[in-house]
Amino acid sequence: MSPIYIMAVVTLAASVALWGGLIYFLTGRQKRYFWLLLLGLPLSAIANYLLKPQAIIAVGRAAQVQPGLGLAAPVWFLAFQVLLSPLVEEPVKVLPLLLGPARTMLASRTSALWVGFALGVSFGLGEAAVVAFGVAQSGAYDFLPWYAFTGFFNERVMTCFAHGVMTSALVVGMQRGGRFILYGFLGALGLHLFLNAPTVMYQIQWISATVYNFSLLVPFVVLAVVFERMRRAARDSKKDDDGKEVVYWQRQYTEEHN
Amino acid sequence: MDIQPGKPVKTFRPRPSRGWFSLVIMAVILLAVGAAPALALGLASSSAALTLIIVVPVALAFLILAFWFPTMRYELDQGQITLRYGPVLTYRIPLSEIRTIRRRNLSLTIWSTLRFPGIALFKVPYADVGDVKMCATAALSNILLIETEKEKYGLTPADENKFVDAVRTHMEA
Repeated sequence: MSPIYIMAVVTLAASVALWGGLIYFLTGRQKRYFWLLLLGLPLSAIANYLLKPQAIIAVGRAAQVQPGLGLAAPVWFLAFQVLLSPLVEEPVKVLPLLLGPARTMLASRTSALWVGFALGVSFGLGEAAVVAFGVAQSGAYDFLPWYAFTGFFNERVMTCFAHGVMTSALVVGMQRGGRFILYGFLGALGLHLFLNAPTVMYQIQWISATVYNFSLLVPFVVLAVVFERMRRAARDSKKDDDGKEVVYWQRQYTEEHN
Repeated sequence: MDIQPGKPVKTFRPRPSRGWFSLVIMAVILLAVGAAPALALGLASSSAALTLIIVVPVALAFLILAFWFPTMRYELDQGQITLRYGPVLTYRIPLSEIRTIRRRNLSLTIWSTLRFPGIALFKVPYADVGDVKMCATAALSNILLIETEKEKYGLTPADENKFVDAVRTHMEA
């Protein structure tokens, strides 16, 4: 068995604990979003082994672009391949909303945010398994011990969060309806392209491996800022702790009584 | 109670918690993530060495903070409240500048800063009240929030009623 599978198990456990914990504590200890973490698990395999390859083959045949050209392919075809991931993955990630019980959870912007986040994290978990499978199939890293795959661990844990943020943007847009559906989709698309930018620049050799490794941090920080802003915008208007605040002393009140 | 000539100081301990354990766990996780590439690839690998160089000081900082955990305390004298944590944190709150004292739960943001189960230190952003200068053995629940014109401070005295009564007595004196 390839050693990366051991790290994949560790990665999945850590991601579920970390992002599931985030959902739990930021929603005020609600557990109702947890079941959504199961729904997106197979979707990355569907997107990456079925939909995207078929799309590339179909477009390549139609445009008579020879397969296997890599970076030698026409620029528009390379751009198409870059766009393909977000164009396919973002709609695929919200497919679970076809299920009634999932759809009924979109009662407010806040719940839509967390439904989207959970579905995105779920997709990311499945994607981590897909990536591990792909690495294992290549056999190139079988000589390494399982604990050498910390790069895989770091990248996949953060990518789960990133998928959560992107899907939140789309699902909040869907919940608001109308033109916001398009805004949400374009927002998710843009964030996805931004996240993939370091990878693309590395693949076309614009940046070195070292710069690539450090540049991965930038999109994640930006996504965290975006998510926090979305969360604040989607917050329900009621106070967080109705009736739980105790005011011991207040200067203005004391002065009036004096 | 600590007595200094001409300046009696009452010292209040924080609410007990296992915040030190959170800090130790963070250090262990960081060391594990940092050491794994070095163990696998050896220090001849530049990326493994660089990872260690970055991670080890951060992990050591967490361990040092855990070591100082028992030093957290709140001091009250005639003019101010002083929040202390080892030699790295000293917040002074002049009594004359206090506007409100209230206890409440705070809302998380995803920015971690130095906020873990059982401990919150330095400036921590909260979704509902904004930035709070924390010196507390809890990050979210039952935080005693002291607000001045410019700042908010979060603390968790073990005997909250005794602490608040002492502060009010000093302010009204």
